[in-house]
Amino acid sequence: MTRILTSLTRRSILAAGIAAGLAWLPGGGALAADPIRIGLVAALSGQSAKSGEAITRGLSIAIDEINAAGGVLGRPLELVSRDDESNPGKGLLAARELVQRQGVVALIGGLDTPVSLAIVPFANDAKVPFIGPWAAGTPITRNGAAENYIFRVSAVDAYVGEALVEYAVDEYGAKKPGMILINNPWGESNEDALHHALETRGMATAGVEKFETNDVDVVPQLTRLKEAGADTLFMVANVAPSSQVVKSLDRMGWDVPIVSHWGPAGGRFTELAGPSGSRVHFIQTFVFTEDMSGRSAELMAKLKAKYPEIKTIADVTPATGIANAYDAMHLLAVAIGNAGSTDGPAIRQALYGIEEHEGLIKTYRKPFSPENQDALGPEDYVFSHFVEGKILPLGK
Amino acid sequence: MLLTSALISGLGLGAMYGLIALGFHVTYSVSNTVNFAQGSAVMLGAVLGYTFMVTLGWPFWAAVPAALAGCALLGLVVERALVRPFVSRGSDSWLMATVAGGILLDNTVLFTFGKEPRSLPSPLASEPVSLFGAGVYPLQLVIPVVGIAIAVVLQLVFRRTRLGKVLLAVVQNRDAARLMGIDAKAVVATSFALAAVLAGIAGLLIAPLYSVHSEMGMLFGLKAFAVAILGGITSAPGVVIAGLLYGVIEALVTAYLGSTYTQIVVFSVIILALTLMPNGLLGRAAVNKV
Amino acid sequence: MRQSGSASQLPLTLGIVALTAAGAAFAWTVGGYFSFVAALVALTTVVGVGLNVLVGLTGQISLGHVGFYALGAYAVAILTLAGLDYWVAFVLAGLITGCVGGLLALPALRVSGPYLAMVTIAFGFIVEHGTIEARGLTGGQNGLMGFAGPHLGGADFDDRQIAIFAILLAGAALVLFQRLLYSGWGRAMLAVRDSETAARSTALSPILVKTSAFALSAALTGLAGAVFAPLMMFIAPSSFMFSQSILFLFAVMVGGVGWTLGPLAGAIVTVLLPELLADLAEYRLLFFSVTLILVLWLAPSGIVGALARVLRREARALPPVPAPAEAVAFIERARDGLSLVADRIGISFGGIRAADEVSFEAPPGRITSIIGPNGAGKTTVLNMIGAFYRPSQGSIRLGQDELAGRTPTDVSRAGIARTYQTTRLFETLSVLDNILIGLRRGRLGNPTARLGSAEEARLASALLHFVGYRGSVMALAGDLPHVDRRLVEIARALALRPRVLLLDEPAAGLAESEKKELAALVRIIADHGLAVVLVEHDMGMVMGISDHIVVLDAGRPIAAGTPDAVRTNPAVIEAYLGAGEMQARPRAGAWAASGEPVLEVADLAAGYSAAPVLKRIGLSVARGEMVGILGANGAGKSTTMRAIVGLLRPVEGRIALGGAEIQREAAHQIARRGVALVPEGRQVFPELTVLDNILIGACRRGAGDYSAEVARLLERFPRLKDRIGSRAGLLSGGEQQMLAVARGLMAKPEVLLLDEPSLGLAPAMIEELFAVLADLRDEGTTILIVDQMAKMTLGVADRAYVLEQGRVVRAGPAAELAEDASLEEAYLGGAAQDDGATPRAAAR
Repeated sequence: MTRILTSLTRRSILAAGIAAGLAWLPGGGALAADPIRIGLVAALSGQSAKSGEAITRGLSIAIDEINAAGGVLGRPLELVSRDDESNPGKGLLAARELVQRQGVVALIGGLDTPVSLAIVPFANDAKVPFIGPWAAGTPITRNGAAENYIFRVSAVDAYVGEALVEYAVDEYGAKKPGMILINNPWGESNEDALHHALETRGMATAGVEKFETNDVDVVPQLTRLKEAGADTLFMVANVAPSSQVVKSLDRMGWDVPIVSHWGPAGGRFTELAGPSGSRVHFIQTFVFTEDMSGRSAELMAKLKAKYPEIKTIADVTPATGIANAYDAMHLLAVAIGNAGSTDGPAIRQALYGIEEHEGLIKTYRKPFSPENQDALGPEDYVFSHFVEGKILPLGK
Repeated sequence: MLLTSALISGLGLGAMYGLIALGFHVTYSVSNTVNFAQGSAVMLGAVLGYTFMVTLGWPFWAAVPAALAGCALLGLVVERALVRPFVSRGSDSWLMATVAGGILLDNTVLFTFGKEPRSLPSPLASEPVSLFGAGVYPLQLVIPVVGIAIAVVLQLVFRRTRLGKVLLAVVQNRDAARLMGIDAKAVVATSFALAAVLAGIAGLLIAPLYSVHSEMGMLFGLKAFAVAILGGITSAPGVVIAGLLYGVIEALVTAYLGSTYTQIVVFSVIILALTLMPNGLLGRAAVNKV
Repeated sequence: MRQSGSASQLPLTLGIVALTAAGAAFAWTVGGYFSFVAALVALTTVVGVGLNVLVGLTGQISLGHVGFYALGAYAVAILTLAGLDYWVAFVLAGLITGCVGGLLALPALRVSGPYLAMVTIAFGFIVEHGTIEARGLTGGQNGLMGFAGPHLGGADFDDRQIAIFAILLAGAALVLFQRLLYSGWGRAMLAVRDSETAARSTALSPILVKTSAFALSAALTGLAGAVFAPLMMFIAPSSFMFSQSILFLFAVMVGGVGWTLGPLAGAIVTVLLPELLADLAEYRLLFFSVTLILVLWLAPSGIVGALARVLRREARALPPVPAPAEAVAFIERARDGLSLVADRIGISFGGIRAADEVSFEAPPGRITSIIGPNGAGKTTVLNMIGAFYRPSQGSIRLGQDELAGRTPTDVSRAGIARTYQTTRLFETLSVLDNILIGLRRGRLGNPTARLGSAEEARLASALLHFVGYRGSVMALAGDLPHVDRRLVEIARALALRPRVLLLDEPAAGLAESEKKELAALVRIIADHGLAVVLVEHDMGMVMGISDHIVVLDAGRPIAAGTPDAVRTNPAVIEAYLGAGEMQARPRAGAWAASGEPVLEVADLAAGYSAAPVLKRIGLSVARGEMVGILGANGAGKSTTMRAIVGLLRPVEGRIALGGAEIQREAAHQIARRGVALVPEGRQVFPELTVLDNILIGACRRGAGDYSAEVARLLERFPRLKDRIGSRAGLLSGGEQQMLAVARGLMAKPEVLLLDEPSLGLAPAMIEELFAVLADLRDEGTTILIVDQMAKMTLGVADRAYVLEQGRVVRAGPAAELAEDASLEEAYLGGAAQDDGATPRAAAR
């Protein structure tokens, strides 16, 4: 009896599976004329889930605003999200599915540089605009395509490297800086950028040390840098590994200045790293502050309303992700509106045609051109640090 | 100073790998299966510890047993749902099922505990002390002591007590053990619970030095599997020694050869070691009588 | 996991071609995302086929195949960036990964199980980190792009064409696997997986076979990677993470390990499932893992395996007409052939001389037997001749050919064939394939051609007929009854066309009538000119057919000569044969039935998988009674024991202990109620001391002080007293049997069950054992015994049951049964008939 039951259940599950499989096949579901679909490809699970969530939130708030104002071309916007699991292959597959099956008019996303790079040839080929709100790898936008459909509203590693070196020299008088970098594409891309920035100044590095996301102890690497005579550290890593660096420095009792990429802003840095976390000065494109006003305050209010788990500004990390995505979405909507069509090439031209747009991070003036597909530049970077769990900008 | 700190850090981490690896040893010995979600049990121990201690504000003495009880429950569920159904049908799919179970648990924690790494405070990991010129947190010294102590206690229980004999009997001949009135299924289930508890202890120990998040266990689990194999998964002392060795080699390679090649060197060493010692350091060859 | 070599391959091959065509048509018509997905399914299939060669055929698990995938992808990317043509790079990628696979096989060959898994995991990580660190070559973390892809007639493939290419590759891989599966190589891989030991003594080289499997597996995976690169147009280390290895293995397991279409089914699940779940966005991985577990639950042995179970048709190829003459002509050797000479050979293990100064000559046409008590070193001598052990001294020659120090593979090719104490057939192969593999003598031939020509198949059937096997040649060797296993193993050995045949306890576990036929067969084999070396405990057989006997004790030869000379040698009697004619001591007075049954079995039906072994058996044992169960092999004796103690579940019918029904209880619960089984093969706990083994027996009685009781027990088993502190695994077979009985007695059981206690024991030891059993009986222990030594059993028992094909055919007082002439012939070996009874083999 039990056996019959089990086999019945098994069969029905099998049947359900087959039905689901058939439903997935092409033929059904013609493209809906309404609304306009925007695709998001980002790492939504795993270690980068928090950043993916920030991008999703920034985009959602922006889309809510746009739809509340009547949408674009009289149609509402709709976000279709896909998880790429930080895997370039899955990212490309997701991008293809979004474009070729879901009929999205533009892609936003790419948390990891390799995922973005994997999507680049496809997006250019399919003539679908792809706007990056996060991945900072230089070649993403400078990909050499004759018709470049890749845009970015985020930092660019080449510029960040420059800014970090400049800050270290100006602020700390660094002569022989060392690098402590996470062993992933982001770290590697910044290694190149930092080397380049140091070279142009004729400076030497005390050494480059890599560490893994799951490393508990970074003392060996740091000791090597210390023994090589490093006077400043450049740090590139996400919030948890960054805190391991700070804790290891604490144990060593090495009070060296740390100039960092934006990793620490990705979470509760001072909770993880302890009070010494505030000695890390890191780059940001945007910071929520206690006494903010205007658009930042509005956005904060909307975030709190839409996501009840957000109570203070300590809960909206990484702010950069939210802000970049928010501005990217608005810029895209403006372009679609100006283009008067959801046609890829038209949107691309319209992106180039944006003259002025008042965004969250800044007022964009001619943000994109075929020569520069990056909306943000070194002038938009703000150095900040954590004080008692809150990010405060450092006066420059 | 480089050497001292590398050694201390290596021993601390190594003892932790050893603890997690003992879990692999225990279940493998009893049932020839392992829980590939062992890394997730490390994470669960830390996450539950954080939840009970920080979020709910329970005292230490209540939170730690509660967290470990949670791990034990995980071990029981894994054995019942992801191992037994396959082993009883002669299928090796428990391997895949426990991996999937790990992904499931990691993602469940991601969406319940939260996507942000958190910090589990401990008085033993706030102020570094100086030891032979190297700064260490007291907790780093506690970990190897606790790790080795647990290994020794386990070994004593196995070798000296009636309970241990019963366990060994199941290990050596399951059917014969059943004929002696030993509930082999219960013993296997217990071994999975014990393995998860060992992982949970490791998670609680490492959390203050590290951060608590849903993916924290994955790499620890993998390294611990390497350790279990390196030591000879059938030998508890071998596993613990291999853990300490692995930790120290890892730290020394990083300290003296640079971090770039740590993984390549360590994994090459594993292949080489297994080529020379196909049953690990102290593992016993499966008797292959002609 | 099992696949019998049956039926024609054609329908499946046509099916694969049709599937490939359909896939290609699908990719061509739909294009875009769907053809991209189809390409990924195809590539995963190719990798799956590669893994299936490894996992399905050689039984080795790899968790590092993503390493080969990455190597293939990087090879084409780097080579085409360096200016090479894609097609050249594609072929090179396959070659390179194949070579790396072959190299990885070297460390991997030395390890197995989880150790192998770890070696492959480490390999995957080394490749991943290697691609990260070799930045100049691989572009580091941020990968490579801009490399060339496949092209035809000057035009580069678009993504649809690449998809079709991938699908064709998958189709080719599936056909290749299908053909490999039934080829000599495929069968050899399965043979090595089933028993590496037997494979080596069947002239197969496990190293060659496994290395080839590894290389082929790696090459297929590398080729898939070589298509993956141009399909993605961009590759980076993060495309080749450890998790991908797990998914590959998952695809093979969920599809069905060892099934040709398994990888396709698995690839469809692993690639399509995440796509079906894509809308779940961040929750996709969560639900994916849940679905994976569900799929595994529904089809624990794989989708194709589950479907095949439903669709399976019994494909029964008719065995070719046997021609015994052909078999005889095949094995016949000239009598002036070469002798096997062992010259003062010896070997030590851990300081103990397992064999010392052993010399004998085994000439062709003669049977040379080696006898001696358990642990005397008989099998050790066979293992030295078979080259499984390297003698530390002395020489082993076949004619002028020195065999000592060579490999088993080598020695078996030189003309030494053997069988094993516990038969070692290639269990997942058919009976026919077992013989065909032997006939090949290590020459495996074309990996895409089916093993066994028509002539070979006829010869194999003839050999099987010659040894007296009358079952289906298509049956899986693992499903054979005991006696057939012995016969097929001998046939496999003969298939090697050996000069020398080594037989290790071939009669163990056989019934008397079967032993007789076996004895005749061995005699005939020798008469055809082979040198036979026989190790055997059955003195009737040894004395009946041997030309020359060597007696070993504690590794040293103590006597040698003709059967008659050895039989009367006092040293041999002292060490081995015991007081002469084996006899069991019956109860002094007649057994007075008390009428109170302790154990009652009624209408018991049970079996393994579908086949019922027991068909409504009924029996009862009264308190203080000793009852025997007799019957031929396969009659259901041991199955009855296993059913009573709960090792076999579920069963139908009723089993009651002291009136309480126990047929639904688990083994440990029944043991706690007081049923103690001394299992077949002793099954002591080898790593525990003798004392701990005894104490574990008292488990059901809880904690307590048993020292006085143990002391009394040791009085009964003086042999154990001296060994009380040593590990049980170090005891001789006889001592282990005593220990197993002692362990059972410690439970103070309501009823003591003994399953084949005399199996594998020397005659003197058997006498001692039965004396102990008689003592126990006299002291009032309730005993149910199953033993092949029917005469001995009837000697000690009060009552007995006779089983035949799962039914009780006779029951009654033991003395009555012992005198029943009709039973005598079938089970008791009857009166000595040394008139060279016509063996089955020679009949007709």
